[in-house]
Amino acid sequence: MSVQTPAILVTDLHKRFGRTTALAGLNLRVDPGTVAGFLGPNGSGKSTTIRILLGLLTSDGGSASLLGGDPWRDAVELHRRIAYVPGDVSLWPNLTGGQAIDILSRLRGGVDTAKRDALLERFELDPTKKARSYSKGNRQKVALVAGLASDAELLILDEPTSGLDPLMEQVFTDCIQEVKAEGRSVLLSSHIFAEVEKLCDTVTIIREGRTVESGRLDALRHLHRTTVSMLLGRDASVLAGVPGINDLAADGAHASFTVGEEELGSVLAAVSAFSPRQLVSTPPSLEDLFLRHYGGALPGSTADPGSGVNGTSGVAAGTDAAPAQSAGAR
Amino acid sequence: MSTAVLGASRRPRAAVGPLAGTMAGFLVCVRFILHRNWLRLVVWAAVLAVMIPIVYDSQQAAFPTQAARDAYANVANTPAIAAMTGLPYAAGSLGGILVIKIWMTLAVALGFASIFLVTRNGRADEEAGRTELLRGSALGRHAFGMANYVVVDSLSIVTGLLISLLALAAGLPTAGSWVLGGSIAGVGLAFVGISAVCGQLSSTSRGANSLGVAVLAVFYLVRAVADVNAPDTNVTDLSWLSPIGWGQNMRPFAQDTWWPFLALAALAAAGCAVAMRIETHRDLGMGLLPERRGPGRATALLASPAGLAMRLQRTTLISWLVGAAVAGMFFGSVATAMTTVLDPSNAYAKAFLGGSQDMLNGILATFVLFNAMLAAAFAVQSLSGARTEEAAGRLEPQLAGSLGRTRWLGAHIAVAAVGSAVMLLLGGWLTGASSNGAASGAALAGASFAYWPAVLLLMGLLLFMHGFLPRLSVSLTWAVYGISVVVAMFGPLLSLSEEAIRKTPFGAVPRMPAADFSLAPLVVLTLIALVLGGLGIWRFRNRDLTQE
Repeated sequence: MSVQTPAILVTDLHKRFGRTTALAGLNLRVDPGTVAGFLGPNGSGKSTTIRILLGLLTSDGGSASLLGGDPWRDAVELHRRIAYVPGDVSLWPNLTGGQAIDILSRLRGGVDTAKRDALLERFELDPTKKARSYSKGNRQKVALVAGLASDAELLILDEPTSGLDPLMEQVFTDCIQEVKAEGRSVLLSSHIFAEVEKLCDTVTIIREGRTVESGRLDALRHLHRTTVSMLLGRDASVLAGVPGINDLAADGAHASFTVGEEELGSVLAAVSAFSPRQLVSTPPSLEDLFLRHYGGALPGSTADPGSGVNGTSGVAAGTDAAPAQSAGAR
Repeated sequence: MSTAVLGASRRPRAAVGPLAGTMAGFLVCVRFILHRNWLRLVVWAAVLAVMIPIVYDSQQAAFPTQAARDAYANVANTPAIAAMTGLPYAAGSLGGILVIKIWMTLAVALGFASIFLVTRNGRADEEAGRTELLRGSALGRHAFGMANYVVVDSLSIVTGLLISLLALAAGLPTAGSWVLGGSIAGVGLAFVGISAVCGQLSSTSRGANSLGVAVLAVFYLVRAVADVNAPDTNVTDLSWLSPIGWGQNMRPFAQDTWWPFLALAALAAAGCAVAMRIETHRDLGMGLLPERRGPGRATALLASPAGLAMRLQRTTLISWLVGAAVAGMFFGSVATAMTTVLDPSNAYAKAFLGGSQDMLNGILATFVLFNAMLAAAFAVQSLSGARTEEAAGRLEPQLAGSLGRTRWLGAHIAVAAVGSAVMLLLGGWLTGASSNGAASGAALAGASFAYWPAVLLLMGLLLFMHGFLPRLSVSLTWAVYGISVVVAMFGPLLSLSEEAIRKTPFGAVPRMPAADFSLAPLVVLTLIALVLGGLGIWRFRNRDLTQE
């Protein structure tokens, strides 16, 4: 294992606002040179964690370190080495976007003019317009250009693409891949599963202020069940008797069910006896992983992957959680 | 909240003619605006109306007999009175004295209330995007704007009614009491119309408020010039150029003229009609005044904390400096007029007010005090910009850069402190320099600068609140400022003791040139300011940032 200092290391972080508990034992780790996804619905504590990491809020317990330093005490020094893009960008209404970019860049140390101008072009942003006339997407671009124009070791991005159109999201994805290629680290809080799946090496899923799942994305997938949907030559309800099949939904000759990785072989052998006509197997998506944690009551301390929360309620949770994702920032 | 109220959408009732359909949901909007503003409306109406019995009682005590009132009437018509509160046309009666003491304050205050409330529910909502949300529902284009104008109009009408009723209750003549309330209400109504137009011209609430206040200041000055130049206490033509003049010329407790009220109401209606006409022809979120482009790059100065703080305060700073300069020259010219009127051989003046030099110094000291109040208001407004940055979420990305909290706050403190010092010196110096020898510029600049510790005290208080009670800091500091101003200006009218007045920020400062300089109170004020400010900064360094 490497002995490099993690870019971000958060252990058992706690934070209360009056009587509201915002964080209740949050863990988060970002290794140097990796892109870490940070997932959770609105109000789960993502922005609070980021604000503590930026030294804007104090923590009530646990520890947080940023590039090896104390985010509160060493804020000014550490901030020369990081770039931050908030999810809900407010700008000075009577200054132009270009002025705001320069002010924010200068506060971090300096402006790389060539890089800035290239980014303005890529994001198709007019820097001479007053910020009050910008749409949400354009305000977001101002913060992105200021953040991406820096050569910071660590980028902290809090839902940076909320308000961007799909074309601009693609530009953003390209930019982050370039950052990754340069060996810099990124913490990406996001609601967009496709974006996180495309960009992130590791994922941390939080719920109600605590970490419920974290690890490398490919490793997480292994821990979860594959969804199989089949068309049989006969009534599909016979599948109910096959050991290893979970969450069976049978409708005439049609069936869908989930199966754990280790039972997949035996289940396939068993179902081949029922004259299958079609079979589609889908590995768990990040969305499945995410929704599985929002199906019911918060399980004990950490999630027990592969058992516990069942798929039916997971699907039901989808209808609850989906509007929450699209409801925008904070 | 808004959707719940608007959910109960109803058919429009009284929509007729070309406005039909554009008024759908009018009553719902009225209810909604009342719901959001009822406390403000009640406070404005109550505070303004209650001044009537308070001032009436104090004047009854000051002039208990007809002989005393007659003596006052002989000396009441000074340029200072004419310029600041209007012509004292009925100084021999208690009603007339009440008008001298409080009419202008109430009329101008109601004008301010109209401007701020119309902007708050109009342009400010539109700027924040809330109007868009409302328009998206089944709501006519003019329903919300009209509801806003009607609600704020009703503040003027209710305040006027209360004033009339309280005047009647005090035993003042019936006709005069109604005209008193009507004249003040009329000025309030006129400024609803004026600020309605301002809210259409500017695309920001700040711009709309500034425009409205500037118009009010111009109308105040127009009538001041008219009244200073009036022969005896006769109405001049010039005063008809200002709606405040129209209200004054209704002359409660003398001629009791009603028709200028109709003119004021017509101005209100015309303003609202023009505003709605503009609203029809412009895009949501835009103003008539064009939005200009700016530079695509920030200069090195702008990108420094102090430079940014200065740039953010630039408009505030310039307009307050111009205001202080204009006020200084105005005060100076009034003082000039005083020197010619206050003939030492005038027996009444001597008997009633003591030596003329004392009176002149008293007036000059009052002008210096006004200047200090302006400077303090600038300092509080400017420094509360720091809280605005935090509340609006613009501080976060700055502190996420390598900027320390003390350095950031220090830049805002410096702008407010230096700006207010310049204002004090400039306003004082101009008062003296334009007073035609009544006082020297340097003397009044010094007298004015003696108020800097009082300004610093209010800044220290704001910093303290900003540290410990950030969400309430700005409103609480303005409340303290308001109380300090009222006590310093009306303390004797409110029968407060000299000792109590000295315990307030403005009251603590020696009133030069009427009083002698003394260092001790200034040192005390400065020390309190430093302690409050220091505690506030310490707390701010250690607290969570709070947004709104």
